[in-house]
Amino acid sequence: MKRAVVVALAMLVVAGGCRKKSTLTSNLNAANKVAMRNVRLYYESPRMLLGSENRDVALPESPGAALPVVFRELVKGPRRGTTGRVLPRDTVVRAVYLLPGGTVLVDLGGATLTQGWGTGSHEELLAVYSLVQTATANFPDARRVRILVNGAPAETLGGHISLSRSLSPVPALVEPASR
Amino acid sequence: MKRFLLAGVVLAFALASLLFAQTSGSATLRTPNGDKPISVVSQGGQTYVSAADVVAGLGGTLKPDSTGYTATLGNVTAAFGPDSRFGVVRDDLIEMPVPPIAVDGKPYVPWQFFQGLLAKTASMDVTWDAAANALTVKPIQRDVVGVQVSVANVQGISKIVLTLSAPAEYAIVKAQQAYTVRFKSPVRPPFAEQTYEDPYIAKMTFAGSDLQIALTAPDVVGDAYKLENPPRIVLDLRKAATPAPGVVPPVQPGSKPVELPGIHTIVIDPGHGGREVGAIGPGGLMEKDVTLAVARKLADSLAAKTGARVMLTREDDSVVSLDQRTAIANQYKADLFLSVHMNAAIVKGAKGSETYFLSLEASDELAKKAAESENASGVGNVAGGASSDLNLILWDLAQQTYLDESSRFAQAIQEEMNAATGVQNRGVKQAPFKVLVGATMPAALVEVGFITNPEEEGKLKSDEFQKLMVDALTRAVVRYKTDYETRIGVIQPAPATPATATAPAPAAPRPTTPVPATTTTTAPAPAAPKTTAPATTTTPGTTTRTESE
Repeated sequence: MKRAVVVALAMLVVAGGCRKKSTLTSNLNAANKVAMRNVRLYYESPRMLLGSENRDVALPESPGAALPVVFRELVKGPRRGTTGRVLPRDTVVRAVYLLPGGTVLVDLGGATLTQGWGTGSHEELLAVYSLVQTATANFPDARRVRILVNGAPAETLGGHISLSRSLSPVPALVEPASR
Repeated sequence: MKRFLLAGVVLAFALASLLFAQTSGSATLRTPNGDKPISVVSQGGQTYVSAADVVAGLGGTLKPDSTGYTATLGNVTAAFGPDSRFGVVRDDLIEMPVPPIAVDGKPYVPWQFFQGLLAKTASMDVTWDAAANALTVKPIQRDVVGVQVSVANVQGISKIVLTLSAPAEYAIVKAQQAYTVRFKSPVRPPFAEQTYEDPYIAKMTFAGSDLQIALTAPDVVGDAYKLENPPRIVLDLRKAATPAPGVVPPVQPGSKPVELPGIHTIVIDPGHGGREVGAIGPGGLMEKDVTLAVARKLADSLAAKTGARVMLTREDDSVVSLDQRTAIANQYKADLFLSVHMNAAIVKGAKGSETYFLSLEASDELAKKAAESENASGVGNVAGGASSDLNLILWDLAQQTYLDESSRFAQAIQEEMNAATGVQNRGVKQAPFKVLVGATMPAALVEVGFITNPEEEGKLKSDEFQKLMVDALTRAVVRYKTDYETRIGVIQPAPATPATATAPAPAAPRPTTPVPATTTTTAPAPAAPKTTAPATTTTPGTTTRTESE
């Protein structure tokens, strides 16, 4: 009898423990058609501004789901020889969220950014604004970008540009042909 | 044996169930306007509250959109989205321990979302009482004084700043190897006990309304003083009878001798230091070493040429945080701040100097409102020095008041660097530099050259080139000082001379290259560096691009 009670109790607990967790995230890949879409990724141009590189990427229709894909494409680096990589090679895009009101949260990681990126103002400035420009140029809903590192607010990426506020695009940093 | 195994399995699942199972129910939202029922869910040890219920209970509205939900409470709009444990209010983040979840298609947020939201926007305290099954919203008690503690060791002085949520009476008692700050009202401490790796402070402990500061040695002595707006108690600790090291002795805020307006104190900031090496050249030259060498020479040169007090934010290969660098300049009530850096770029052959001053986001409503408030209260306009103590709450916006003077200073630097080095002019630019944000004086950051360019790296480590740059920077500071002091009437303008004068006239056009240029048009009226500059003599910066590539 006791054994039966214990087994029944265990089954109840198992049923409770296995209850499906519910999250706000719907299955966006299923809900939105994934298709090859052309995106503009921003890297350093020979004139030391941000120049765009167009690339076809398989993207879901929803901006919220597409943004992480675009940022992960960005950190892969340029394919054309005329533009230069602006983020450290080992940068990882941990997560990207598009919040109501147009703020994009980009959570970056990777050894270099975690341990301290030894770089200069120019390179850091372009790295930060390559994220801002890539988000805002491809997604009308994205108006500004707030950068986190390893899931937490960060002071800077490399000791120069403040990340304590969200950043809006700066056209003066972008090649006129890529604006 | 089997029975024990079975019991173990049951226990394991019970624990798992506790961790992962979701239980839902109702709770009470307690507000000053009365109680209301709300739905709650408990999952993984976290209590989530129905966002719609709580927002409605607070008199607001919650609307979904394609990216999440927007809550509107009065004139405050906050947002949260799927999977992200960060919400956004104005331009600030609301951190939650875990992301929101959906239950039956409705959004539930960790109760801490409302704690962060209301603390940031309405001075309300939100607490979850599991025993009472209630979410309580009430005004933050004003009779209990909140205390924030910050500690910095700056040029041999350990500075403890206690920032209070409201003015409070207190007494400071010295024991053999300790100080006690005894508040006469209840306090809300930020911690119970904290140890420090500091030369003079071993530990701080809050006990009731007392803050006990344990010192590392009996011969550590301190000076305490009060600051206003916000109310702060500052305790400077140092070894007895040992003057603080540094280029000049430390100056107590408020004790600065009365002197004519002008540029009297200059702080030079050698970028990076210690493990923060900065950029590295292809030959291994480290930015932190060049910045220190140049800054030391510049400090000597400026002291000789201007007669001003000149201080460095670091005098050796040590780590100094970005906030601390500006804090040093603010502490000594510097009239000018220059951060010295070496640049880096992927592009091979990148060369030339760049000079930056601060840009803030034009869309930053918080910054604008705070700056307006600061100007209205006269805190930002430090004329006469009567209200020149830094408002730490607005520290991150302080530089906004000085943007026009910073622009002039940056322009002088860039022109002198171009003239001296003959290298490519990369122009004066604006960017949101962390080290400039909190400076309460005209401030600029100069990128002397590209350390990543082998040719420039070679130059940057040579004494000759360093001297060339130091001379150029010295001329720029002298020129800005003369220009500024002439404009405010401290010195008489030089009589008009034929076109042999080397220094440009103060009223000469000042083309600038605003890179993230968004705020020159929104910045408040330019403020003078700790003096009484007539506002009519200054003009807003122009935005003509001068970069030549």
